[in-house]
Amino acid sequence: MSGNAHSEHAAGKVRYGMVIDLDKCTGCGACAVACQQENNIAFRPDESNKLRTISWLTLYRLENGKDYPEHREAMLPRPCMHCDSPHHAPCTFVCPVNATVRDEHTGIVDHIAVRCIGCRYCMVACPYHARSFNWWDPKWPKTMEAMLSPEVSPRMRGVVEKCTFCHHRLNRARDRARINGEDPDGVEYTPACVEACPTGAITFGNLRDPHSQVAKLAKDPRAFRILEKLHTEPKVYYLSSEQWIHKQSDNDLS
Amino acid sequence: MSLGRRAFLQFVGGAIGGTLLTPIPWKLADDSAIWTQNWSWRPSPERGEITEATGTCLLCPGGCGIQVRLVNGHRAIYVKGNPDHVVNRGGLCPVGAAGLQYLYAPYRVTQPLKQTGKRGDPKGFQPISWDEALKVVAAKLTELRQKGQPHAVACLTGQSRSSTADLWKQFFAAYGSPNLYTMPCHSDSTRLAVALATGQEADLAFHLEKATYVLNFGAPLLEGWASPTRAQRLFSRWQTEQPGVPETEFVHVEPRCSLTASKADRWIACNPGTEAALALGIAHVLIREKLFDAAFVADQVFGFEDWTDAAGAQRKGFKALVLGKYSPQDVASLTGVDAEVIQELARQLARQKNAVVLWGPPTDTPNNLYHDLAFLALNALIGAFSSKAMISLVPPQPWQALPDPAMDMEAFKGQGQKPLGQPASTPKTKVRPNTVHAFFNALANGEEYPIELLFIHEANPAYGLPENALAVQALQKAGTVVSFSSYLDETSAYADLILPNHNAFERLDDVIGLPGAPFAFYAVATPILSPQYDTKATGDVLLSLAKALGGTVAQSLPWKSYQDLLKLRAAQIAQAGSGTLVDATFDPASVAPGAPLKPNFSKASDVWRKLTSGLCWVDAPQALDRYATPSSRLELACQGLLASVSANAGDELFMAHYAPLNPSGDAGELPLLLITHRSLSLAPGYVPNAPFMNKLLPDDLLLQQDVFVEVHPSTGKKLGLRPKAKALLKTPRGEAAVRVRFAPTVPAGVIALPEGLGHTAYDEYVQGKGVNANAMVEVQLDPVTGLGTVWATRAQLRLA
Repeated sequence: MSGNAHSEHAAGKVRYGMVIDLDKCTGCGACAVACQQENNIAFRPDESNKLRTISWLTLYRLENGKDYPEHREAMLPRPCMHCDSPHHAPCTFVCPVNATVRDEHTGIVDHIAVRCIGCRYCMVACPYHARSFNWWDPKWPKTMEAMLSPEVSPRMRGVVEKCTFCHHRLNRARDRARINGEDPDGVEYTPACVEACPTGAITFGNLRDPHSQVAKLAKDPRAFRILEKLHTEPKVYYLSSEQWIHKQSDNDLS
Repeated sequence: MSLGRRAFLQFVGGAIGGTLLTPIPWKLADDSAIWTQNWSWRPSPERGEITEATGTCLLCPGGCGIQVRLVNGHRAIYVKGNPDHVVNRGGLCPVGAAGLQYLYAPYRVTQPLKQTGKRGDPKGFQPISWDEALKVVAAKLTELRQKGQPHAVACLTGQSRSSTADLWKQFFAAYGSPNLYTMPCHSDSTRLAVALATGQEADLAFHLEKATYVLNFGAPLLEGWASPTRAQRLFSRWQTEQPGVPETEFVHVEPRCSLTASKADRWIACNPGTEAALALGIAHVLIREKLFDAAFVADQVFGFEDWTDAAGAQRKGFKALVLGKYSPQDVASLTGVDAEVIQELARQLARQKNAVVLWGPPTDTPNNLYHDLAFLALNALIGAFSSKAMISLVPPQPWQALPDPAMDMEAFKGQGQKPLGQPASTPKTKVRPNTVHAFFNALANGEEYPIELLFIHEANPAYGLPENALAVQALQKAGTVVSFSSYLDETSAYADLILPNHNAFERLDDVIGLPGAPFAFYAVATPILSPQYDTKATGDVLLSLAKALGGTVAQSLPWKSYQDLLKLRAAQIAQAGSGTLVDATFDPASVAPGAPLKPNFSKASDVWRKLTSGLCWVDAPQALDRYATPSSRLELACQGLLASVSANAGDELFMAHYAPLNPSGDAGELPLLLITHRSLSLAPGYVPNAPFMNKLLPDDLLLQQDVFVEVHPSTGKKLGLRPKAKALLKTPRGEAAVRVRFAPTVPAGVIALPEGLGHTAYDEYVQGKGVNANAMVEVQLDPVTGLGTVWATRAQLRLA
């Protein structure tokens, strides 16, 4: 939790969200690499079993289904959607131990690995496949332990993990705001994926701030969200000018 | 004493009550809660003060600015793009973002090693001290020079845009060997084409920031073209609506539905290897419909009309050739692109004020010279070289190069030797043809003369050279192989001596020139942290070798350290008094060729301070108003080829024309065509794929050990394959087990294989995944330039 339960502001003034412009995204994967190093995500020699791999930000390939030479492909980066559905996100609703909860002051759906009992109800509940399970203890080559970030604890075998919108970066930004005597609520910060994107395809900010870029883009006619029919109210929006991409947004992602 | 039931219950009740009143149960509950979270075998990252260091990424020639987060100044934990940097403005490519996994890789060479067993035996490497190792190399160098065989020393470097490359040049000139090569890339052939057409030694600079129409023949813009992050940003710029700026239309020509093809405004699918024919077809329509820049062609172009050569023979010009041979109907049958589409493309191209034609093979390899000339010619016709200046030239050295090397008789004699294996027919231009394949070929076959000492610097030819088996054979034939690799890669495994370079994050280095960018560029890379192991910068090693050799070699490389040389660069910039030190506010669209930028610096120390703080030096490219060709014009008919092409050669051998090289092998036995391609999440070069990047690979590209080849479903069915089936891929160069991905990304009869997999060295996170595309493709030597080109390979695919 971000610790702002004592905020004087009414809950719900801040909703961090993301807009990913698929017209600009080239699927290079810099976002996913940045995410892995920022969040100490473990890797194994063989990462090709996608049911066992740990990935907070997954790149999906979309295809328009047409034959050569009308065939087209696009890449879709998928972080956690940080669902804003009333009362509960699908995963928070099923968690028996309150390991995954939504901070109603920021809208961030967090996951506290040390509380997690590894029942994986949340993985079943999540319609976006945004959660991964630690099937093994994380193990880094000895020399690579030097590049682990002290800001995010490595997880252990038997727990679930997922994208936190780089929550620790929010905490750091809030600390900085307090030191500078500014209002820590709704402070601007940048998650690692947004920072790394070479085409500037990812925009991040407060969706409830009408002047923010992210709020403006979320209302763009090109904007859509994945599986809106489920009323999970994702806070990750996508932009695309391709109709065939819009059409796939209501399919499942498997 | 008897204990009644009542007393017992009282006692138990009292005991429970009493215990609850003590802190014991609460303490135990707390402890066990802590204990369950205490996983001692899980690393606890060291905490401490977090700082940020600024530098330049050296993992490719792209010149991106980086910022690295450090814990306690000695633990690098996170790389991000420098938001104030002119090249990348904050973004990074996945290789750069995963860069720390190379710094902390378990397969780094931690100290100088000497092979004590048989060459290639990984267990035979024994530590050796730096002094001793340098003594061995210096002794060998001295001995060869005394024997009058300085040309028996050769070097292959993968770092062609650093001052280290200039040190190698200086060293080889003063020592006396012509055998200095860089890893093959597309600019090997474009530099020759540019030298023939314009008479200058320069790289092409594309003013893509102000382009309104980009027609791209195959260059992998989004898969790692030129400076990859800059290319990504350009694409993003074209996708962003800007008030007052006309939108850029991006048309891409490629046989395969790559990501660039998918993302382009329009994708023109053509038959593999026929891009140049399409360009000539478009040229035909431009000429026939008089849509070309006639004023520019009349004023500044030679060889458009018929011409007379030095011997007085009448020669056909470009116009006659193109009108005669490349009508849209002819080209349609070659390329598979409709004649109407060709006409439409030509008219579109002509209508645009700021149009430019880009080109390049999908896997940065040298191109057929005549094809490079075809794209240059198309650019000339649309006036891209004219005062609109959509294309200009950037010389490889923006300022005065290093002082002339002092050369004694030995050096002159050695330098005068023919580079090993180089065909006699290579064009005589200012540019030295980088005939790597011919060199390795001669070395492997023991032709001409032996190579007694072979240096390999920041390159991994045993993996990364197309037809890598040739490099392995050659390595085994060389007398002594000295590798400067930071890693135990496929090539250093064959070394006799490894003198490990600092890793990209540990060394002071520089980047001279940005591939494809419309400005001259210089950046200094400052070390992010101190070296982790007992390594030495190769620049410094070279300087100490020169010193040990003494004489003219030592005179030619007089710098005390590599840092002194880089400081000399800064002094040269200060002295030249041209160009500006810039950050992200610099807009390349504001640069006009021939209008040098005003300096914002004065003293050399000022320049050095700013360069090391992350600013970059940029300057305008040359104006293309003078051509150093025999005709003093831009030559569509290259008179420079008169010296190397036989005098009674056909007229088209002096001009751009479609000249595909036939792939070898029997079309009956090998009915398919194999093409290879790149992706940004697969590192194809000197560094392998980092574990972070392997995670990105989808399971229909790599599944356990198997790589997937793309096959059109109709072809797959005809071959009796099913999606995901295991299959055997066979080409004239090798055989490999693969899996099949049914994908309509390629036409029927074509299979596509990604580059960057199939390593055999490094560690368990890298090796044994998929197939090395370089081992499957066929290299064909361009009959004119002698460069090794790769376009398609005959192949067979059958159920395994």
